[in-house]
Amino acid sequence: MAAQANTAGSKKGFMQWARSRKGQQAIIIVAFMIIPLLLLFTFTYLPFGEMVGFSFYKMKYVGKRTFVGWKNYASVFSRKDCFGALKLSLYYMGGSVVQLALALYLATVLSFKVKGGNIFKGFMFFPYLINGIAIGFIFKFFYTRGFVFDTVLQWCGFQLDNLPYWLKDQSINNISLVGTSVWRYFGQNMVLFIGAIMSVDSELYEAAMLDGANRFEQFRYIILPSIKTIVTLNVILSITGSLSAFEPPYVITSGANGTGTYFVVMNEIAHTQQKVGLASAMAVVLLLIIFAATILQKLFFKYVFRSAEDEDFGAAKKREKQLARYAARKAGR
Amino acid sequence: MKLKKVLALTLAAAMTLSLAACGGSDDGGAAEAPAAADDTGADETEAPAADDAADDGAEAEAPAAASGLTYASINLGEDYKDLTTTIKFIHHKTDREEDGTIPDLISKFNEVYPGITVETEGITDYAEDSLLRLSAGDWGDVMFIPAIDAAELPTYFVPYGTVDEMSEYVNFADQWKDAAGNCYGIGYMGNAQGVLYNKKVFADAGVTELPKTPDEFIAALQAIKDNTDAIPLYTNYAAGWTMGGAWDGYLGAITNGDETWLNQKFIHEAEPFKDHGDGTGPYALYKILYDATAQGLIEDDYTTTDWEGCKPMINNGEIGAMVLGSWAVAQMKAAGDNPDDIGYMPFPITVNGQQYATAGPDYCYGINANASDDNKAAAMVFVKWMVEESGWCDLEGGYPISKTAPTSFVFDGVNVVNNVTSLPGEEDIMNELNSESELSFNQGGDAKVQRIVEAAATGAETYEDIMADWTAAWNAAQEECGVEVLY
Repeated sequence: MAAQANTAGSKKGFMQWARSRKGQQAIIIVAFMIIPLLLLFTFTYLPFGEMVGFSFYKMKYVGKRTFVGWKNYASVFSRKDCFGALKLSLYYMGGSVVQLALALYLATVLSFKVKGGNIFKGFMFFPYLINGIAIGFIFKFFYTRGFVFDTVLQWCGFQLDNLPYWLKDQSINNISLVGTSVWRYFGQNMVLFIGAIMSVDSELYEAAMLDGANRFEQFRYIILPSIKTIVTLNVILSITGSLSAFEPPYVITSGANGTGTYFVVMNEIAHTQQKVGLASAMAVVLLLIIFAATILQKLFFKYVFRSAEDEDFGAAKKREKQLARYAARKAGR
Repeated sequence: MKLKKVLALTLAAAMTLSLAACGGSDDGGAAEAPAAADDTGADETEAPAADDAADDGAEAEAPAAASGLTYASINLGEDYKDLTTTIKFIHHKTDREEDGTIPDLISKFNEVYPGITVETEGITDYAEDSLLRLSAGDWGDVMFIPAIDAAELPTYFVPYGTVDEMSEYVNFADQWKDAAGNCYGIGYMGNAQGVLYNKKVFADAGVTELPKTPDEFIAALQAIKDNTDAIPLYTNYAAGWTMGGAWDGYLGAITNGDETWLNQKFIHEAEPFKDHGDGTGPYALYKILYDATAQGLIEDDYTTTDWEGCKPMINNGEIGAMVLGSWAVAQMKAAGDNPDDIGYMPFPITVNGQQYATAGPDYCYGINANASDDNKAAAMVFVKWMVEESGWCDLEGGYPISKTAPTSFVFDGVNVVNNVTSLPGEEDIMNELNSESELSFNQGGDAKVQRIVEAAATGAETYEDIMADWTAAWNAAQEECGVEVLY
């Protein structure tokens, strides 16, 4: 009897809660969130969980599976080709630094009044619109001995005999591949930077100019601090992108001749060699590396960009302290 | 109240979805059983489809057999001249349909058999679509037999005669045979494994006799380099499949004369890549590539080779040789103005004075068991005419199917054999070893062959190092998979 009353009471309580403003809010939030959350769960977290599960098995796509514990992870770290491939990411990271510097420079130049600025923006953004596979094919011919690149260099006075084999020579072929990636993405970075720079109040420039700041100082003290969020974002995206570089080496050299990045090796192991467990372990390890890299970058940028805010913050504190002291002195007197 | 309903619905939806999700994750374990079954019985999935047609097939088969219709009994140009019917032929050669080759052949056929109208249908995604068409039943009278189980052959197709009988007329009569020894399929062309070369380049280089051993082959390539402007051996390195896909194809009888080696002994061998010292075996096979590369007998910049681009190059005499199956002959011939310069020679490895080649049929003609008697007869006449009179096989540059038709395919003094299949119960071992060793022979192991080219070009590794590495990987895989080492 008492229990019955209790449930009835709670039922009533629930209904009341559901009718209340808070309850309505909660219900609406849940109702709106449930579909995207379910989609996210089904298509992202569930497959990811499955993959983490796979990484503990020795398995192919078909056939039986054997549980092997941490063995796959051990081989990721002991195999030469897995971590050796990560060294190639250094090339891509170097490339992304060049790419961002170039993009930032051009964005700054183009955000001021330049003749034909929009045309330049268009031209430089264009590569980003081309499909990555198509770019691969373009550059395969571009780098072929005696084709486009060599011809252009010959116009500039180079002798064909003195030119290296852009894709065959293992000391430079990774640089050639990174070049394609820089060519493709710097335009996109530039457009993002321009967008951010546009939002800077132009009166600041005027004021700075009156104070006698030159263009570089304007960049250093006005533009860069104003767009630091987007700079941080672009750097993080480029670095994680370098860790997972795939398209240029896969399409242009199919990962052969010392150009197999981590992703290309993973693809080869998963699809040609059918070692799905090992490839899954590689994917998990890469995810952890990317996490680590992102966190490190966050900390780094916190340090780099600390100046403006932190100094202000400190100054405010100091001022407050001074005020307090002043007030105390006044009160004491 | 309304709110309650909505809430209940949302909850119910959430619960069913999460249930479905749980079911999904359970699948991981449950999937093992069917997957494992898939491995052992290759084409079991088609079994249900076969059941439907089985009854019709059995009825229809009897009259065909009773009428005594066999391939051997037909005299082309004499029998069935007054037969009037329409048959339909479905095939995968859409390119030959478009360039007018097939319509041409059929109009020639109609000069002899004006009463038999042949309709054709080229199917782009043939391997998949033909299976669907076959199980649906309504596909016509003649088709290229898709990948079905031998046990299902009598359900769908008319026998041409016994394999023994057919072997007098055609090569590879045993490709599609049932338990009773009847032949159900005749290839439209054969594929052999040898080396593609440009006759003119070889002649210009002063190579009068085709090389028969690796040393002779390298010497011939050297002569091409010295005496002509052509690239002696074009590796097609960049395309990938032209490395592993091409070179692995010669493992087996071609390299050591043993038909059982590839599928039965290789997996049990302790040192499959050891140097036999007489220019045979897998060691000698891949050594050709290493030596040619090391001696500068391949293209200058192998990383930017282009598969489509190599076709006109060999046609125009800019390339001496390419290591590819005979299926490539037709494409190379069609790529330029000098189709007659394209030649095909046996692979330059000689085992105890004998050269070997492996060969097998491409798609095979099959005749619908459910067609009317007239159509069956017309279809059989058509197939026999296509095989013996049309010259299609030779036009494609294929290894001959008919034993009587003229052919330009010269493999004189070569023992043409077929690598025999795995022993029962050992079918999967090769796959496992391939995966475990990451060498992937005949399964897309392009990287390992590319490595040979890289090593030879840069001098990073010696050939012995690579072979030792392969042997180590192979032995480790044998141990990991528990495969007994017998040889």
